[in-house]
Amino acid sequence: MSRPAQHTGDAEGGRPPWAGATDSGASAAGAASAGSAETRPTESADPRSPGAADPRSPGAADAPARNEATPTRELVLDRISHHYVTDAGNVVHAVEETSLQIPAGQFVCVVGPSGCGKTTLLKMLAGFLAPSGGEARYGSEVITGPSHQRGVVFQQANLYPWLTIRGNVELGPRFRRVPRRERAERTDRLLEMVGLPQFAGAKPYELSGGMQQRAQIARVLANQPDVVLMDEPFGALDALTRERLQADLLRIQRQRRQTVFFITHSVEEAVFLGDRVLVMSPRPGRIVLDERVDLASTYGPEVGAEMKSTPEFIEIRDRVAGAIQVG
Amino acid sequence: MADSATERRRSGSVAETAGPAAGGEASGGETSPGRGSSPGNGTPPDAAAGARSALRRSRRLRLALQAGVLVVVLLAWWLVTAVQLVPPLYLPSPGAVWHAFVQANTCRPIAEGLSRTVCGEQNYYLWEHLVASLQRIGVGVGAAIVLGLVAGFLLGSSRWLQVAFEPYLNFLRALPPLGYIGLLIVWLGIGDTSKFVLLFLAAFPPIVIATIQGVAGVSEDRVNAARALGASRGQIARFVVLPSSLPNIFSGVRIAAGFAWTTVVAAELNNGIPGIGGLAYLSGTQLNTPLTIACIITIGLVAVALDAIIVRLGRLLVPWQGKA
Repeated sequence: MSRPAQHTGDAEGGRPPWAGATDSGASAAGAASAGSAETRPTESADPRSPGAADPRSPGAADAPARNEATPTRELVLDRISHHYVTDAGNVVHAVEETSLQIPAGQFVCVVGPSGCGKTTLLKMLAGFLAPSGGEARYGSEVITGPSHQRGVVFQQANLYPWLTIRGNVELGPRFRRVPRRERAERTDRLLEMVGLPQFAGAKPYELSGGMQQRAQIARVLANQPDVVLMDEPFGALDALTRERLQADLLRIQRQRRQTVFFITHSVEEAVFLGDRVLVMSPRPGRIVLDERVDLASTYGPEVGAEMKSTPEFIEIRDRVAGAIQVG
Repeated sequence: MADSATERRRSGSVAETAGPAAGGEASGGETSPGRGSSPGNGTPPDAAAGARSALRRSRRLRLALQAGVLVVVLLAWWLVTAVQLVPPLYLPSPGAVWHAFVQANTCRPIAEGLSRTVCGEQNYYLWEHLVASLQRIGVGVGAAIVLGLVAGFLLGSSRWLQVAFEPYLNFLRALPPLGYIGLLIVWLGIGDTSKFVLLFLAAFPPIVIATIQGVAGVSEDRVNAARALGASRGQIARFVVLPSSLPNIFSGVRIAAGFAWTTVVAAELNNGIPGIGGLAYLSGTQLNTPLTIACIITIGLVAVALDAIIVRLGRLLVPWQGKA
């Protein structure tokens, strides 16, 4: 369990090391992986922390420092493959033997043509799907089923219409028997963070698609997962909403440095969001390009949509687009 | 971040488009006027009021149409009997049926001029017959709901159980209750037990089948979302699968309750007094056709009312139906 290399200025001193989470689930998780008890500074002092950029959520910026620890476990795909047999009896290789190492805190974007096995890969990381060969590991633990530490954001918001937005957001902590007061506090904070506090009592079907997607993200974050797996979360949204949610997501991720595995169809989105962009080939899916994106070192931490017109961005975008073969 | 303004506006337009949809739903029954209002209330008040008054107008129109048809039917009935087109034994007049209905709910002297009175029919008022039948239906359908939900959950979540037991379910569903009531009486006696069991057996299959469909139809992503949130199997059943299948369960209960009414006469053929089905059958065998018809109309009206209650309960408990 080596500390993963991180490329952000996280060496800000002065923050107290993680002294144990108040969340029972998280502390149980910490105990389960003894190695992860290693302390590391939290990131809220990161100059990039955009809490200041968003005056509407004053509580959001300092929240991680209070009771959340920065994730430390890496995600590993070890010669993983998946094939299945169709009704007609044909064997389909969805994912060819693939190995991959994702250090904690990295934002990885995966692009590739439809049906190239991106979602299959994500499902194996989530634990929804057992690999046909190889294994997926989270830290030292082999992934055999879903866990609240690996949150999943679906393309469809999948909010439960019999619960209010608040009820949906606090569902994870409720499943895990987090005390009512802490649950409520956490829910309030997250609704604030995703800009939906006034919709706490609304039913999901009363919200627009973009708002539902925000609520879904809040629901996943309420569990304080170390890994967030996202399957084209913004795919069904209009361009404007999409851009805003991208910015929100980056802001949220930079507060606590969750590991993010983000599937998208959009090369632009991948290069904009990712620290690293993976390109998958048409079926059987393999990783054909592993591109590091580090625009922040050139343009500083305050990245916005204007970054998309810089020559570096365009260069990487074109390289990624060139690597995509349409199947 | 601050796109909530545009989104709120959009959610307003969603509420607007939901207006006519709610109107479409209303054709099935009734609507609560305030339902369309969302917290993002972007609908202009005059538009909402307009939609609401249009809704009220269409509801009034519907009521008028139904009342008109009822009047025509009653008139035709009355006319047929008034001109003696059919002998009163075969088709008594509306007045005679009404008289039988009133008589079944009141006390009257045994004979002209005597002070001893007889009350209702077969020593029970009509409403007591009705309550007796309702109790039997309540027990039978109630047990069918409880056991049907359990069975439906088990069969819906295990393909093997379903493969093993579904044929029996279809077998049971096809059996005519009149066919096996005799057997139940032999097994369980002529008391209420055999009636409860008959009604239960009639109501059980539709509820199980509907529940299986509901449970099996829960979308995989919905379940996976809960699993990734840390839900246990029991929590998934309670928080995801049960609410997801509620719409199906309600339609199953509706069908079962309707079927129970058609079965109640069969259940009460033997030793069915008090019981409205028993009374209908007995009065028929005694050629008291006005009372038979009064019983039939009562059964029909109560069944329709019960159905409306179930539908309304369903709307109350499943307000998201058709929206998500």
